[in-house]
Amino acid sequence: MQNVIERILNLLAFLLTVQRPVTADEIRMTVAGYDQSSDEAFRRMFERDKDLLRQLGIPLELRPMDAWEVEHGYVVPADEYALADPGLNDEERAALWLAAQVVRIGGQAAGPDALFKLGGAPVGGAVEPLAADLGAESDLLGDVFLAVSERRWVGFDYRTSRRKVAPYGLVHRRGHWYVVGPESADLNVIKAFRLDRAENLTLSDQPDQFVRPKEFRASDAIPQAPWEAGGEDLVAEVLFDADLAWWAQRQLTGRVEAKTDADGTLRASIPVANVEAFLAWMLSFDDRAEILGPPELREALLARVRGEAV
Amino acid sequence: MSSQRTARRLTRLLAMLPWVIANPGATVAEVCERFGYTPRQLTSDLNLVFVCGLPGYGPGDLMVAYVDEDEVVVEMADYFSSAVRLSAPEALTLLAAGMAVMSSGQAPAALTSGVDKLQRLLLPDAESALVVDLAEPELVGDLRRAATDGSVVHIVYTALGSGATTERDIESWTVFSTMGNWYVAAYCRLAGGERVFRIDRIQEAEPTGESFSPPAEPPPPVVRYSPGVDDVEATIRLSAAAKWISEYYPLEVLEEDGDTTVVQFSASDPKVVARLLVRLGGAADLIEGPEVAEALTGLRSRILARYES
Repeated sequence: MQNVIERILNLLAFLLTVQRPVTADEIRMTVAGYDQSSDEAFRRMFERDKDLLRQLGIPLELRPMDAWEVEHGYVVPADEYALADPGLNDEERAALWLAAQVVRIGGQAAGPDALFKLGGAPVGGAVEPLAADLGAESDLLGDVFLAVSERRWVGFDYRTSRRKVAPYGLVHRRGHWYVVGPESADLNVIKAFRLDRAENLTLSDQPDQFVRPKEFRASDAIPQAPWEAGGEDLVAEVLFDADLAWWAQRQLTGRVEAKTDADGTLRASIPVANVEAFLAWMLSFDDRAEILGPPELREALLARVRGEAV
Repeated sequence: MSSQRTARRLTRLLAMLPWVIANPGATVAEVCERFGYTPRQLTSDLNLVFVCGLPGYGPGDLMVAYVDEDEVVVEMADYFSSAVRLSAPEALTLLAAGMAVMSSGQAPAALTSGVDKLQRLLLPDAESALVVDLAEPELVGDLRRAATDGSVVHIVYTALGSGATTERDIESWTVFSTMGNWYVAAYCRLAGGERVFRIDRIQEAEPTGESFSPPAEPPPPVVRYSPGVDDVEATIRLSAAAKWISEYYPLEVLEEDGDTTVVQFSASDPKVVARLLVRLGGAADLIEGPEVAEALTGLRSRILARYES
């Protein structure tokens, strides 16, 4: 390992200092550690080292050596290499470090690398008795975040069709990640797509491909409750029995009108945009809730209870 | 040689150098604490730096790195005076972690301001573009405090499956959020063992005034499905429209034939499976499982009785 680390430090010191494209040949003849190998051994070694640099997040670019673009060379642009300093103080670093230890994305806690880059973390203080797991679509998440921050289009397969979306925002709500933004066909309609249902993600090559409207708030685009997300438009009149009214009440969102009878029964008018999700929620009350109307919603629940095909 | 280990070592080294350069006079203990080094590891990294530098590789070209008395000295290494930029996954993970803790209530002021600074750096034109919302039920904060203070809490709890409401005293160990719900892992004095409770199903929680000492190593906070002796099993045929449930429930696929999948479902409470079957309507059929069949009949007749009365 020692040899690799020395070679990488030498290579990086050289590339960060010269700030011009250098060919693999020049690297082989100039940088310590590459000098004693055969052509083939050098090629393999240099390929591995390039992979390692990329794994470290170091921007290694291939650029033309001159205007004729006959030969290409490697550059690590110093301004792209360097982390811009967010100006964190030690208290903030420690708080972020503790947060990173208790929150997992895709089943894994963040490693210390990001905090090291930001100046390390003075460890100390007890770990909070708190943990959160933010879902498992981490493969796509990094790329979507990149697209959001650099304003690149994203393309992905969703259900049965290919979508092209301007990713205005990225939201985690109630166990799922959503990418939020308009499709290229109609920039006026903001939609939310669940990332666990997206596949074959691609990003546009160029950044700055769209303008995010100033008034855009990602959180407004994601419904608070699962049954508020969808294309249907109904208002359900529901009665919740007194013994589970407290549990219903906790899940009602601001868009719901509700009142409690003298015996504790809760009556609510609930906007429903996704009948499937709404019925699933109703069934979690067993027989302690009843849909009073509209009739088609009541019938949809009963059809399921009777086991009829839906 | 593992390239993972090499990468981790280099990442730390390339982060430590800029910090030492920016903080002359830093002691070995400070650097070790900040970057998770043992003094021996730090010395061995500095020894590597010491033999590296620019072509020529003479005394004027190599970096200078050593420990003087107790002080870490790095010189002639200006090209390493900046840390490597954050990768997109690193940036997201860190920001999302900070936001997740903030959305659980009671975030320290330093976390809020730290997240704020990172956000301005990483999403300069779009401060509302990333949102992490864990929809905290009311009692999360109370139970978290009870875990920190070691105070016993009396809860009124309604079980998800049976619908039964019980009262019990719990020693709250950890509160955690997963799959969109909050849970508390605790020692339950009524059950005499470790239990996980869904926090939105806790109707009331009041400290009893007693205290407990938390376990030195509480078990990892996950909703574990551990097969129990009282589990019931059911064989279910799923059509394409219902296949998604295999991603949400612990089940075993027995057969796959075109659009039809046959699965084996284990659950501690047959009512949970019955509700799922009703919800899926005609897209799922129970093939075998007497307990679930009984629960299904019961659920159907209860709901029909209510709607038809």
